[in-house]
Parts: sequence; C-alpha cells; structure tokens
Amino acid sequence: MTETPDGAEDGVEEVAEEVVVEPEQVEPEAVGETLAGTEPGNRPEVATDGSQDGRPRWVELATSADHKDIGRLLIGTSVGALFLAIVELVILRIQLAVPENGLLESVTFDRLLSMYGATGIFFFALPLAFGLFYFLIPLMIGSRGTALPRLGQIGVWLVMLGGTLLYSTILFTPPEAGINPLPPFSEVAFTTNNGVDAWIVSTGMATLGLLMLAIDLLVTLKHLRAPGMAWRRAPVFVWSGAIASWLFLFIAPIFLAALTMLLVDRRLGGSFFTGGAGGAPLLWQHLSYIFLAGTYMLVAIFAIGAITEIVQTFTRRPLRGRNAVVRSMIAIAILGTLAWTQNMYTAPIPSFWKYLSMFLAIALIVPFGVIFQSLISAVAKNDFNMSAPLRYAMGALSFASVGLIVEVSQSMLAIGTQLQQTYDAWAATHFALFGFAVFGGLAALSYWYPKLTGTYLNEERAAKSFWLTYAGGLIALVPLFGAGVEGQVTDAFRFFGGEGLGFFNLVSSIGTLVLFLGLVLTIGNLIRSRVEEKPAPPDPWRGETLEWLTTSPPPPHNFDVLPDVRSANPMSDIREVLAKMDSGEARETRESEPVA
Amino acid sequence: MALAVLFAEPAWALSLNPDAGSPGIAKANTLHTIVFLLAIIAIFGINLAIARAAKPRTLYVANSGAKSKWSSGRVAGLLSVFAIALFVVGTIYSSSSRSVPESKATVAGADADKVLNVKVTGQQWLWRFSYPNGAFGYHRLIVPAGVTVGLDLVSSDVIHGWNVPTLTGKAQAVPGKTNRIYFRADETGIHRGWASVLSGQGYADMEAVVEVVSPDDYETYVKRLKTDIQFAQDDVERTLADEARKAMGQ
Repeated sequence: MTETPDGAEDGVEEVAEEVVVEPEQVEPEAVGETLAGTEPGNRPEVATDGSQDGRPRWVELATSADHKDIGRLLIGTSVGALFLAIVELVILRIQLAVPENGLLESVTFDRLLSMYGATGIFFFALPLAFGLFYFLIPLMIGSRGTALPRLGQIGVWLVMLGGTLLYSTILFTPPEAGINPLPPFSEVAFTTNNGVDAWIVSTGMATLGLLMLAIDLLVTLKHLRAPGMAWRRAPVFVWSGAIASWLFLFIAPIFLAALTMLLVDRRLGGSFFTGGAGGAPLLWQHLSYIFLAGTYMLVAIFAIGAITEIVQTFTRRPLRGRNAVVRSMIAIAILGTLAWTQNMYTAPIPSFWKYLSMFLAIALIVPFGVIFQSLISAVAKNDFNMSAPLRYAMGALSFASVGLIVEVSQSMLAIGTQLQQTYDAWAATHFALFGFAVFGGLAALSYWYPKLTGTYLNEERAAKSFWLTYAGGLIALVPLFGAGVEGQVTDAFRFFGGEGLGFFNLVSSIGTLVLFLGLVLTIGNLIRSRVEEKPAPPDPWRGETLEWLTTSPPPPHNFDVLPDVRSANPMSDIREVLAKMDSGEARETRESEPVA
Repeated sequence: MALAVLFAEPAWALSLNPDAGSPGIAKANTLHTIVFLLAIIAIFGINLAIARAAKPRTLYVANSGAKSKWSSGRVAGLLSVFAIALFVVGTIYSSSSRSVPESKATVAGADADKVLNVKVTGQQWLWRFSYPNGAFGYHRLIVPAGVTVGLDLVSSDVIHGWNVPTLTGKAQAVPGKTNRIYFRADETGIHRGWASVLSGQGYADMEAVVEVVSPDDYETYVKRLKTDIQFAQDDVERTLADEARKAMGQ
C-alpha cells in the first residue's frame, strides 16, 4: 500500500457506510448501481443535481471538455469515416472489377485512393483507438476526468476540422498523390493543384490533435489513478492505452516534421525532398514509414488490449499470462516501429537496413504468437457466453492472423521484392488492419456500447451483420492474394486482360459489395440500438474493471465515490465485500483482508 | 517434405514465378515455396484453433488449476527458435537471390567482370535504356542471354518502380540516387512487368519489356541502333539545313 495516497482509507469507509444504510436493498447483480448512488441524499460529494441544466445536447457536446464527450465525438467521427472509407473502397473495386474498365479516369481513381487511405488511417483507425482510450481510461483507473481536459478538447476539434477539410476538397481538387504521397511526385512540380496541400494540412491536424490526446492520457495515467491503482493492477486496456500513447508520442512529431517539410517544399520553395535541387526523396520514405509502421502497431496494440478485456470478462477469469501479454505489447511497439524499412526493400538503401528490418519483422512472431496463444487458449479452456463482443474479438484474431502471417512471409527480402507493391501486400495489410481496426474496433465498441450509450446493443442484428462482414471481408481479400502473385500492382487505375487477373478482381469486387452491406448493417445497428434497445444496467457483463462500477452512461463526474483499489480485479473485491455485508459479517474482517 | 522442397527447384503451382528467367528469381521461388507452405499451415492451424475455441459449449469445463503445459515463457522460447531458423533460411536464400550472378558469356561493351551495364532512366511514363556503346531506346530493353546485366536505375522526374518480376523483382528508380541491380537471363524470351510506384496519370500504362536474345543478336541490335540513331539525327539536321538554305535563297 505504499503507493496509496493519503485519504484512501476514507474512501473505503464511505463505500462501506453508504451501502450499510440499507443492506437489504443490495442485490449482487446491481452492485454498481447502488454504489453510484441513485438517491441524491446519500451522495457523499457534490453531485450533478441542478447544475448544467437546460442546455441542448449538441451545445453540451460542442463545448464540453469532458473526456466522455470528447471520446464520443472521436468515436462518432471514426464510425462516419468508416462508412466513407468503405464507400470509397467499393467505388475503387467497381472500377477494378473488369479489365480496362473505363468507368473512372486515372486522376479520379488516384483521388479516391488518396481519400480512402487518409480516411482509413487518420480519421477511422487512429480516432477510434484514441476515442475509446480517452473515454475509458479515466474510468478504468478510477479518475474523475483527465488531467488536461482543454488539451483534449483542442485535440478532438483538430481531428474533426481536419476531416472536414479533407472532405471539403471534394468541391475543389481532392489530393491525388496516393495513400502515401511520395515526393517528388507530391511536390508542386508534379501535382500542381492544391489537393496535396489539403492532404498535408488535414492529416497534420489529425496527427497533432491525436498527439494532444496522447499527452493528456499520459499525464492522466501518471497523476490521476485511484488510490491503490498501481501499474501492476492496471487493466490490460489501460496498459495498451499507455503503450499506444507513448508510441504516438515518438512517431507523431516525426510525421509532423515530414509534413511541414513537404509543405515548405510545395509552398515556400524549399528543397527538402526535391529530386534535382539537392533534396532527398528517400528522406520522406523513412519519416513517413516510421509513422505508418508505428500506426500499424498502435492499432494492433489497441485491438489486443480491447480483446484481452473482452476475453477476460466473457470467460470470467483473469487472463493467464496477462503480464506476458503486456510485455508482448511493448515488444510489438518497439520491434514493429523499428522495422519501418521493410516498406523500403525496393529503395536504394544499404542492405544492412533491409536485413535488419527483416530480422525485426520476423522477431514479431514471438510477441504476437504469445498474445494469440494466450487469448485463444483462454477461450478454449474456459466456459464462456458467446455474444457480440466476443464474436467480433474472435473475428479480429482470425483476420489479423492471416494478415500478420502473410506480412511475415513478405518480410523475407527475396519474397518482399517480388510481392511488395502488389495486391498480395495490399491484401495482407488489409487483412491485418481490417482485423485489428474494424473487427477489433467493433469488438471494443460492442463491449463498451452499454457504457458509451446507456443501452444494450441488439445481439441478433450484431450476429447477422458480423457474419456478413466476415464473409464479405474474406471474399473481398482472399482473391487479391492470387492477383498479387500473378503480379498485379497496386494503385493502378486499370489492369489489362490476358494476364490471368480478371477472375480474382471480379470476385474481390463482389466480395467488397457484401462487405459494404455487412458494414452498413453494423453501423445501422450501432445507431438503431441506441434508440430502440432497453437501458443497460451499470454492469451488464459482470466486468472486472472500474468503468462498470458507475452508471451507464457515467455521470459527468464519473464516480460518486472514488474506489479504493486492492487488486487487479477491483470489481470482484467490491462484490465480495458487498456479499459479506449482505450475510451480516462485520466490516472489520474486510480491513484485515487486503486482497492483493 | 520440407527437405525435399529445400533441395528441389520447384516449378509447380506453388511457385511464385513458374517462368522465372534468372537464377536469382529461381532462388526467390524456392524460398517462397517454403514460406508459403509454412504460412498455409500456420494460417489454417491458428484459424482452426480459433474456430474450435469459440465453438459454443454447453458443458462447463472446470479449470483444474493445474499449470498449463503451454506457459507464455515456453511459447515465447519455441517461437524464438522458430523465428531465428526462419531468419537464417530467409537470409541465406535472400542473399543468394540478390548476389551478383557469374557471367557465362561476354559481349562487346561488357566491363572487365563481363558485366553489361545498362543505364535505366524512369521518366513519366516510360523507361529509357542507355547501352554502353551510346545507343539508347525506350520501352523495350534488349539483353544478351547468359551475360550478367547490371541495371543502374535512375529517374529524371519522380520515383518510378522498376518491376520485371520474372527477371529482377522490384527496385525503385529514385531521382538523384542510383539503384543498382543485377540479373542474368539464361534463355531467350520476353519478360515484362508494370511499373509499381504511383507516378501520375500514365502510371497504369507504364510497362517495361525485357527481351532476351542471343549475344550475337544483341551486338547486331545495339550496333544497328547506334548507327540508325546517328542516321536519323543526321537526316533531321540535313533536312533542317536544307529548309534554312531554301528560306535564305528566297
């Protein structure tokens, strides 16, 4: 208890006293509700009664610095971006359904591709991860809010303005230099219109905004943990948030610097990346791939954290090898980001770098393998309730396993120079990120849906849309492995017949339509359930982390009573104490039984 | 089975490029076959494990509390050994795939090591090939069979992706930097591939064709190409001079 600040004991007393008032009302499954204090008179601290009344919800959202509202805004942004990205993917795939399709012009295809990449990375995957971290981590560590709420508020608005800016270019000239706009092509000499400038500013705003959120999360994690919430007791999702935020703290400034240099090149006559004038085009590849490799790992770490929480809750057991999972996440962050040159196998850089990143990429087998083994065997060895979150989590592991294994194959230098920049690599990256960001994100969204919205998610519709999405993803991506081995290169707006590519592309395009349907139904379910379903209790899953202690959705101040954490499973301790009090045992026994 | 694959040079369906045109790509094919088999086993193994784990069960299986045989430490240890083995195999095949092949013949214009150096310039949106004797051509590269060819990839505008999968694999042509790759084609024939780095509106049609001919045919080709280019230039200059004279005369 050395880490416990003064006053922790008071918290315990208050929890106990409040409940003791009317012990017969305490029911085991409604523990959190009682603790959150539904009766205003019993609240030990200043409550929300009478304050902040009468303001419309949208004004509240627009002006709030509350981490839950900021998290909801980010999550809403990312769900909207998911819809836009999948629409763009469908149009891209329709263009590539048949050889020499004349539906889109070359430049239109490039613009859709650039929008798709920016939307998927900067406005879907990263905001979803940080939105959930930002919403949940203060709740999970038993804090009343974040340490720097204004920073978070600026951050979320930067992300949203960045997204608005990116999509406002549809009225003018959208960016056209590809998912990663490599200079000199993205220099003003070769892409003369403002599209690339808009790309730079919008992705820069998103990165800067998310960086602010990461800083806020790290300060919060340092200073605002509840009494007794030592790092060794922190939930795995909190660890994954901390690791992801640290990682972002390293990679985001690198990317912001690269963006600034590119903008200086384009608008102020600089020559950081120009080909002829003494610039270094390869420098952009290094800087941007450090960021993109780190982002890939960040999304993986986010999904693993969420899936671990889900597996622990639904198998009703703490994960065996929990510490190994946390250590593996740290290893993934370091090894995966340092392996950035595996995206540059074809670039003129010394062989040492290529073999080093090959080694690092293959070394990733170990941490990912430990995590997969730990999670899968936890589900295999225990009884569980199959429900939407666990189903999405298993789908995430399934998709990510395919993507990661093929990525490892392509990290072999001789194979990489053959298969990189083909649809084989595209399919592998999509398998991994579709698994981690889409399925992992949906697992997290459906697991914390009651906490986010206060209502249940419709199980039946979630199951149907899951299988549709899963099948659509497989049909859309598996044929692309074949197309890639046949040599089809990415980013080309058309391909030619007679090279054995037609069948693969047609099947993939049909699969993308199924995927579209599945994701639209999923998003529809997320929206409909909020209106139609019945309200959720504070703790619908019997979770082990502190966000389930408070009401669904949580009040602005999160907790009426700050909990006193005594083990890695604080909710079990609280339930145990309440059960003992129910059966009339004295309070003193609790004091003499520290659980950790 | 893995051993058989190691020593055979498979040219069957699993192979990445059944019609590999150079020894380096044949090595890459072998590596790909090994890795492909391992990947298929791993993908099906993991996904079957997930499917089995997630299958709904009605019977509650009490966890005995006995220590699992598969502790995280043991899994990490086994995977480390596997990863190191994979890295060793991958490095051996990759380095031999990328090493400079020995020239089996020689042609006029080859350097002291019998390597024929061709400068390849990527430009929007075609490839320019400069042969050692000063002749140059676009779109189609003619190389002699059995001679090691060294390509010096450069670019005059944006980054282009050199990609002839059956001969060399991919390599970027970056402005201001030379990317050097080697290959040796042993049989005559045509190899082709699409550029692999997005470079602008003509990117989808930017193709490179490499035609392998006998050393004699190669020598005839470049000699003829040089004289014809010189002839074309002289012809144009003569015509222009004639026109200028006519204009003066009037």
